[in-house]
Amino acid sequence: MAQVEITKDEIDKVYPTVAATVADALGCEEDEVTPQASLIEDLNAESIDFLDIVFRLERAFKIKIPRGKIVENARGSLTEAEFEQNGIVTEPGFKQLRAYLSEVPPERFKTPTKVKDIPRLFTVETFCKLVVLAQRQQAAA
Amino acid sequence: MSDHFAAFSFVDRIVEFEAGRRAVGRYDVPSGISAFPSCLIAEAVGQLAAWVSMEHIAFRGRPVAALATETRFHGDVAPGDTLTLAVDIDSCDDDAVAYSGRAEVRGSTVIELIHCLGPMLPVAEFDAPEALAARLELIRGPGAKPGAFRGVPPPRVVRIGGDRGRSASATLNVPESAPFFGDHFPRRPVFPATLLLDSQIGLAMDLAREATHWPAGSKPVPARMTHVKMRSFMPPGATLEMDAELASASAAAATIKLAARLDGKTAATARLDVVAGGKR
Repeated sequence: MAQVEITKDEIDKVYPTVAATVADALGCEEDEVTPQASLIEDLNAESIDFLDIVFRLERAFKIKIPRGKIVENARGSLTEAEFEQNGIVTEPGFKQLRAYLSEVPPERFKTPTKVKDIPRLFTVETFCKLVVLAQRQQAAA
Repeated sequence: MSDHFAAFSFVDRIVEFEAGRRAVGRYDVPSGISAFPSCLIAEAVGQLAAWVSMEHIAFRGRPVAALATETRFHGDVAPGDTLTLAVDIDSCDDDAVAYSGRAEVRGSTVIELIHCLGPMLPVAEFDAPEALAARLELIRGPGAKPGAFRGVPPPRVVRIGGDRGRSASATLNVPESAPFFGDHFPRRPVFPATLLLDSQIGLAMDLAREATHWPAGSKPVPARMTHVKMRSFMPPGATLEMDAELASASAAAATIKLAARLDGKTAATARLDVVAGGKR
């Protein structure tokens, strides 16, 4: 998949619902949720919370988000073998990941990056992008 | 008698089956048991969804309890009643099953499960796939012999603290052995999430009764449970710490936040909405 441009307007349009959904799923106050907040590092989310948030977003936006889609999207046009070797993100994979997760502050990226640690990078805005992509795919279908 | 498909199995027959989409089943609540709490009715609905979803993915995976957006309690079930169970599958694949469902007794809805999600785990970790397939064939055909369930041992819950009418804490000691572990699950015994929820509801109702804002002459009753999230498995012999906290209260309703911790980590969370009803 080629890198997809998502506009600020598109993010802004879905953000309030995404933020409310994240707050409700995590049982935190909505003002703790910011676009840049890392789900794991800042909001203490665990893997079950990711499942919960995606499940809620599907219903809130009437979209389908295949589970595991974020990491798959992050690979872009790279094959799995090009993206990672033995659980470690390759150099081209790292470049692709940085481009895909452009909303994530650069200092949060560590090298080497383990594939299992990629979700640690996800922010609330990452989920906004996921919603926008799913909406686009649904509209195109 | 083996505990497998007996000690914690709540679908006797499947009378309608649309692969991967919906099913209707029946369960005869044994007349010889003392009670059949709402959480076991929810378990029965979840088990019907599990049968539909496991068949859909050729028994490669089995769903485990994880998320239940909303469970509405409409009525009680008595020993000797026959439950009619129905599930509608929203989506199902090797990763997870999403479903809603309900149970009725004599045409009246007793419980509704709305937007539940169970992640799929490799079935062979929990049970023999061929045994599950054979069981499904039985309950889709002639049906299982009813009456196998003999009840569950009363939960060992000990109140350890709290602020009367505002919060309550207790420990729940999961037994080292119990018949239900032979069924849930034969290859990996796990304390059923619905039994934990039953104990959590018990603690929440103790707290609700201690609160003083209810109208004179009424008593609190559970109306719905929301935000159920199971974060970890609870093995035999585990000690769980349960907390219930009054989150909001009005003249005729209250919301209680529930949490259970295992080894200091949150294992389960939920919220219970309680309303004023009946006579004290």
